[in-house]
This record gives sequence, C-alpha cells and structure tokens, in this order.
Amino acid sequence: MKILTTVKKVVDVELNMHVKNGAIVEEGLQYVMNAWDENAVEASIQLKEKNNAETTTVTIGGGEDVVKVIRRGFAMGIKNGIQIDDPALAGADAFVSARVLQKVYEKGNYDLVIAGKQAQDTDNGQTGIILAEYLGLPCVSNVIAIDVMDDKHIKVSRLGDFGTEIVEIELPAVVTVDVAINVPRLPQTRGIMTAKKMPIQVMNLAALGASHADVVGAGLKSNIIEFIAPEARKTGRKFEGDAAKVTAEVVGLLVNEAKVL
Amino acid sequence: MNPLLMFLVLAVGLTIFGRTMFYKIRLLIALAPTDRANHLTERLMALLTLAVGQKRLIGRKKERSSGIMHAFIFWGFCVLLIRSLSLYGQGFQAGFELPFFGDKYLLGYLYTALKDIMEGIVLLMILYAIYRRAVVKPKRMHNTFEAYLVLVMIGVLMVSDLLHDGARYNLVQLFNNPGHIHYFNNPEYGSEFLWTPVSVGAASLIAGLGMEANATILIVMFWLHICTQLAFLNILPTGKHFHVITSLPNVFLKSLGYPHEKNKILDLEDEAAWENETLGINHIHQLNWKQGLDLYTCTECGRCKEVCPTYTTNKPLNLYEFNDKLKHELLENADNIIQKTKLSALINRCQSAEQIQTIKDEITSLNSKKSLIGDVIEPDTLWACTTCRACEEVCPVTIEHVPRIIAMRQGQTLMAEAYPPELNIALKGLEYNGNPWGIGYDKRADWAEGLDIPTMAENQDVDYLLWVGCAGSFDDRTKKVSVSLTKILKKAGIRFAILGVEEKCTGDFARRVGSEMLFQMMAQENIETLNTYKVRKIITACPHCLNALKNDYPLLGGNYEVIHHAEFIDRLIKEGKITLKQSVAGGLTYHDPCYLGRYNNVYDAPRSILKSLSPDGVKELDRHGRESFCCGAGGGRMWMEENIGKRINIERSEEIVGRQVANVAVGCPFCLTMIEDGMKALSKEEEIKTLDIAELVEKNMA
Repeated sequence: MKILTTVKKVVDVELNMHVKNGAIVEEGLQYVMNAWDENAVEASIQLKEKNNAETTTVTIGGGEDVVKVIRRGFAMGIKNGIQIDDPALAGADAFVSARVLQKVYEKGNYDLVIAGKQAQDTDNGQTGIILAEYLGLPCVSNVIAIDVMDDKHIKVSRLGDFGTEIVEIELPAVVTVDVAINVPRLPQTRGIMTAKKMPIQVMNLAALGASHADVVGAGLKSNIIEFIAPEARKTGRKFEGDAAKVTAEVVGLLVNEAKVL
Repeated sequence: MNPLLMFLVLAVGLTIFGRTMFYKIRLLIALAPTDRANHLTERLMALLTLAVGQKRLIGRKKERSSGIMHAFIFWGFCVLLIRSLSLYGQGFQAGFELPFFGDKYLLGYLYTALKDIMEGIVLLMILYAIYRRAVVKPKRMHNTFEAYLVLVMIGVLMVSDLLHDGARYNLVQLFNNPGHIHYFNNPEYGSEFLWTPVSVGAASLIAGLGMEANATILIVMFWLHICTQLAFLNILPTGKHFHVITSLPNVFLKSLGYPHEKNKILDLEDEAAWENETLGINHIHQLNWKQGLDLYTCTECGRCKEVCPTYTTNKPLNLYEFNDKLKHELLENADNIIQKTKLSALINRCQSAEQIQTIKDEITSLNSKKSLIGDVIEPDTLWACTTCRACEEVCPVTIEHVPRIIAMRQGQTLMAEAYPPELNIALKGLEYNGNPWGIGYDKRADWAEGLDIPTMAENQDVDYLLWVGCAGSFDDRTKKVSVSLTKILKKAGIRFAILGVEEKCTGDFARRVGSEMLFQMMAQENIETLNTYKVRKIITACPHCLNALKNDYPLLGGNYEVIHHAEFIDRLIKEGKITLKQSVAGGLTYHDPCYLGRYNNVYDAPRSILKSLSPDGVKELDRHGRESFCCGAGGGRMWMEENIGKRINIERSEEIVGRQVANVAVGCPFCLTMIEDGMKALSKEEEIKTLDIAELVEKNMA
C-alpha cells in the first residue's frame, strides 16, 4: 500500500499573533507542523508498521521552515518527502493546494491519501475534501481510526455528533483525520539525526508536469483581504468590602450598566 | 612454629587470593576508561577523612553508634595488619619480629599494647554488631549468612590471637617457660605481659587447664588464627565484604570538585556510536572501571535506601539491590568483557578489512544478551530516581549512583527510545518554545511587564544577568518570586538585566531524563546568546538552572560566574545594601533544595538570611542540610507522573507540618510547587505558608 500524507507548515499557535495594517506581523513567529497533520503522519506510520505501507509526505511551499516540517515527518518515520516549491503558488488557497496535490497524487500512483482534517492557521478544513473531489475518489472526513481490510479496502471510523460511524471504503481513497485518531509520536534523536541526511524530492510546477494555468486557473477563488486582531478582553472589576453594600452595588451595575437583569 | 606448614598455608591462601584479585582487576581494566590519576593531595585528604577517619560512619548523628562500632573494627584491622606479618614470620622462625617492633624498642611495646587493647575492643564491637543484627535489626540492614560468617570470623581472629597470647603468658609465667617460649622482656620496659591486659585476662580463663593444655592451645590458636585469616582474605572478594579491600582505593579515586562524575557530553553525530549502541549505558560492559569498582565496593549497608526519597515512599528503587544486580551482571559477563578488550586491541594490528570485520562481529557477539533496563533493572526502578544525591552524600565508600542512573537513562531515551511517555509534553515544549510548559516563547518576559527591567538587548551596560528560568517566567506562583527578587535587586541598587524572550530552558531536566539532544540544543543556543552579550555574572533563583549553567555549560564552552539568589541576597545584607526586619512571626523552617545544597554546597547563606528574618531563628527539620529530603521534583520527576507509593512531596510536607511552624522557606521553584501542593493536599496551606527566600526578604525589608 502506498500512502501519501499531506502536511502543512503553520504558525506555532502557542505564540501571540499581532496584526499591523491588516496583515499578520511575521517577526518573531515560528512555524511548526500542523497538529492535525502530525496525526495524519502518525496514522500513516502506524500503517507502515502494521501493514508495511510505503509512506510519503508532501508539502507545498519553500523555505527552511517547510523543510523542517518534512524532516520532522522523516524523523517520525516517513520514508519519502516531496516539497512542491514554486513562486507561482504564493498565496495558494485550498483549491490551488488541492490541485497541486492532485498532480502529486497522479504522478505517484498512491492507494491512500491521509490528510489532517484542517490546518491550525486557517481552520478551513477544505483541502483534503477538494482533493478527493478533483481525484474523483471516495472521501471520509473526521476519521478517528483506520483498519486495513485487504489490498483494496479499508474500514474507517468517523466521529459524528451522535456517535461513531464505521465506513468501509474501496481504495484508492482520501481520508482526513481528527486529533482523536492517535497520539503523534515525538521524533526521537536517532530519527532526527537520520532525517537530517534524508533526501527531499523538491519539485516546481514544471517538474510536476503542471502549468500555472493548470493549478491556479483563471485566478484564486478566494483571497484574504485583511486580518483583524480580536479585541483584548477587558479586565474584570473586583469588589471588596461589606457584603451587603457590594451586593447592592453589583446588582445596580448589572441592571444599569450591563443591562443583563 | 613449622616453616613447611607455614609455607604451604601461605602459598595456598595467597595464590588463590592472588588469582581472584588478578581476575577482578583485569575485569576493571577491561571496562571503559575514566581519568582519576590527578589531584593526588586532594585524593589523599579524602582518603584520610572519609576512609581512615571514617567520617561518614561516625560523623552522622543518626548512625553514630554503628559508626563507632565500624570505625573501631576498621582501625583494629589496620593495627592488626602489622601483627599478621609478624605472625607469618613466627611461622617460619620462633620469636620473629618486624624491624623496630621487637623488644629492643619502645615502639614494639607500644604496638603490642595497642594491638592487645584493639583486639579487646574489636571483640566487643563484634558482639555489639551481632547483637545489632540479630536483636535490634535496624530497618536499613539486610541480614545475610555472609554478614554473620564474617562477623564470626573476625571474632575468631580476635579470640584466637588473644588465647594464643594468653597461653603464651601462662606458659611463660605460670609454667616456668617450658621450651623457652619467646616473649618481650627488656629491663627498661619490663615483661611484654605488663603491657597486654586483655591477653592476660584471656590467660586467666585458661590458666586452670594445665601446662599441656596451654601448650596445645598455643599451637592450635596460632594455626587457627593464620588459617582463619587466610580463609577470610579469600572470602572477602566473593561478596559484600570485598569493600574491606576496595573501599580505600574507591574513596581515593572518587570524583573531586563536582560531587560526582559529570556525565560526558555525547557526540550525537557519531554514526558509529549509534550503530554500536554506545550512547549512554545500555549494556554492562559500558560501565567505566570506576563504576565497576563502585559495584565491587558496595557494602549493602543500606544507608542509601534509608535516605532515598523514593525508597522511603515505597517506590521500587532500592539502591543496594540496584548495585547488586549490576554487580552480578558484571561478573556473569566478566569473561566476555575481558575477551572483548583483547579483541579490540587486536583490531589495531589487523591489516585487512575482512579481518577487522570478523573481529568486530566477534566483539558484538560477546555483548551481554541482557539489556540493562528491562532484563536486569526494571524501568520503574530507573525512572524513580529524583537525582537528589542523598544516597551519595551518606555512602561511606563514596559510591556514585546518580551519574550511572543518568547514563542508563540516556541509553533508554536515545537507544531504546523508551522513557515515561508523559515526558513528551515537556520535551516537545522544550523543542518548540524552550520551556517544558510549551507556552509560547514570546510570553517569557510577560511577568516583567511594567516593572522597568531592561533586557540585555536593550541595555548591556549592567553588572549582572538575572537568569529567570522557565518557572520564574511561566509558572504563575513562581513569577511572584521573580518579581520579589527584582524588587530586592532594585532596592539594593544592583545593575541587572534579563534576557527576556531570548532565554531558553537550560536543559537541566532534559539532561537528567537522558534527552541529550534537547539538552545540547538548549545549552548551545543559550551559550550563544550569553556569549553574544558577553555575560560574565549570572544571578538565578532556580538551583536547577544554577547547576546547569555553572556545572554543565562549561562542558560545552560556556563559562560564567553563577550565583544563587540566596547567596547574592546574603551578600547584599552583609554589605548593608538591604536591611531586614525580624518580623516573620510564628516560626520558620527551611527546606534545602537538593541542587542548591548537595549539588552546589550552599547551606549557610539561606540560613543566615532566614535568621535575620525570624526572631526565633530557623527551626531545622529533622532531615536538613546534607541530609535534606528531596521534594520529589528533581531529575525530571517534575514532568513525570508519580503513581507508585506515597507522594514524596506529601512525605516531606508532613515532616514540615510536624515541625509546627507558620512558614517554610524554599530556594527552588520546583520545591515551592511541590511543598505548596503538599500543604494544600494536607489542608495546611493557610496555616503554613510556603515562600521563597526572596519573597520573605522582599516582604520584610526595612
């Protein structure tokens, strides 16, 4: 079984985001592998360990941080890494990304695509599903378990609002996974050391056999116009002193100022 | 007596002993190298105080009676060594004496008297030791047949020599010296027997048996003494009494300076090390020879487990059992280890790559099939250790448990990739954001907002760097300590700055859980930052940071003068830069942090400060100073679950509650968390305030 796992570089959400002139301030930010993609990577490595699957990650973008994300996948146990780096892909939305991934898929003859169900930066949750649509493959989202039945079929569990759905699908297929599927392993030193030296297959659109028009079409279907920082929470007010007085004061404020009573 | 018999007995006894020792020494030589051939004067001092002076045996109040008992047996042995040599001589020639020990010299008389009294004392001590083992049964002791056998043998040695001398006295004095038995008789110093009250006492017991019986006793006791002695010598290397031979060299070769051998910086880029699994300790042959000597020397006295915070709270770490298991694994593999060394030497002489490969394969095949963790030592045992060093501080023969445990953890973390999984959160936090909480690194200096504290990036023209540490930066409780400390520094007019978001975890806990890569990553980045700002002097409120910066960083090229805030504040008080009011009411006690006390020898400064704060002085806990009891958070335990046995912090908090004080001072953010949590668990947090020294000082500055 050949598995393609899509991974994305996202900003470390532990950091405070600052917005200036409608754009995110890049200075001081650091980037990590999207948390849901870590689950996707872990799921594919578990299939490698259990079912001898061949694992490949693909990521889109250039720069050191993207390479770090691929190497993290290697360190966790992924065998091959593909980086699609092309200036034409700057600002790619879910549609463009899915189109690029489609090209990668078609070059590699994969049996299964595992994607994180969404990315921590945009929270769109679209790319995996659009990719399935482009490929004309069955797709199950929000997956929390994958079991291989035979060469051609897998059984996946899908988390719904009212319980778990168990779905049998025919391969090839696309699944997007939820955090509940596993606990991603922490890359260990030996893996990290080996990962440093593993080759990454870097391709631009031409190498992928695609043109700008193929992937972007007439233009981006969506465009980020502006980022707006959430309003800072106002600090609370502290009341001290005589309980009766304070109660009267608080009730008064709730009626007149907060207008909730 | 009988030269032929003497020769035979000595030849057999010493040959067997020589063979055993040769083998044991060869095994040590075959282990990994470590350099101890240095600082001879300091080594000699350690030998004199710890071994000859028996410092850790008689120096500890709690163990004084058994300490004195042991010390006298030891000193008795030292005295009797000379006697043994003359007895061997007498086997060949009647009346033999060592040079200057004959009856022409006062020395000979003095020695005879000393030997006589020592034999009496040792005999009493042996009786006490047997009584202690059989009747008192202290908890730490572990009774074995060997222990009794050795005590009885020592007893036989004393009794036989005393009876031998007693019979001699009777034959000379009562029975007119038949056959002209040799004895000291110098007109100036008198008869030998005037100097030997114990032997004379022994003589009176057998005086009534008659001349012939006394003559027989003389001969029988002589040979009994010689044979017991040689049998004893040959029993020693087979068990825990090997320490009689190895403890002196073990103490002489102990680590100097830092309290134990520093774990080496591992070369993680070394591919051969990964291939041969030589990072950390995974198999018994990876011990260095000193660690092997430690195992030979363990006396199984159990002092280590008695002070161990994990053993006393029912965790599976029992250090002498740990040593014993390693020793057996070492001895089981002794032939292979010796063979491996021979083969390794052969490789250098080989020409063809094929030959080299054959030898390499053979060397690998000689590795113990047992993995040290899992097959010899249980993982829970290894991971229980808080690295507090209480065991090392009380070990009379200076065995270094902790570096070995850390090296074994390195083996587990790096090679086997097997460590408590809950550590992953902290390790990932370190990797991504340079702190075990995993909080965004950009929030590291948030605690200092509005306090007008410059960062090094803003102002490098300062005298000190305040190293805040992860707890001081991210933990809400410890942030208050950081604030207090900065207020003190400002009041004293100290020019200081912080690194702000450029500071990262020192990597202390990563190192102690064997995650060498993260430790090196943190250390290298910090050293680069510190060196960029040309930092020389660092103040820190965290003993773990202190220890890493002061003792681990030099191994990676970072050399700084690092001082704990307690020492610095004490200095400020002594220089009159701050004055304190004695206004802490309700009694005050102090919990010594392990990494401040036992690791860095700071005991007095915190006490000196606290005495200036409390009108009642410091009410010491039962376990304090060098024998302080760990809070349970060291060695990375802060980031692991504590599922086995009683919680260590509860054990310590109960001790503090028992001291009936209103305040407990600490000097470490982990201790602060652990003790305060303990107080909460015991519902005592209102009655007993857990406060850092800096907080107490800040609240009570005049």
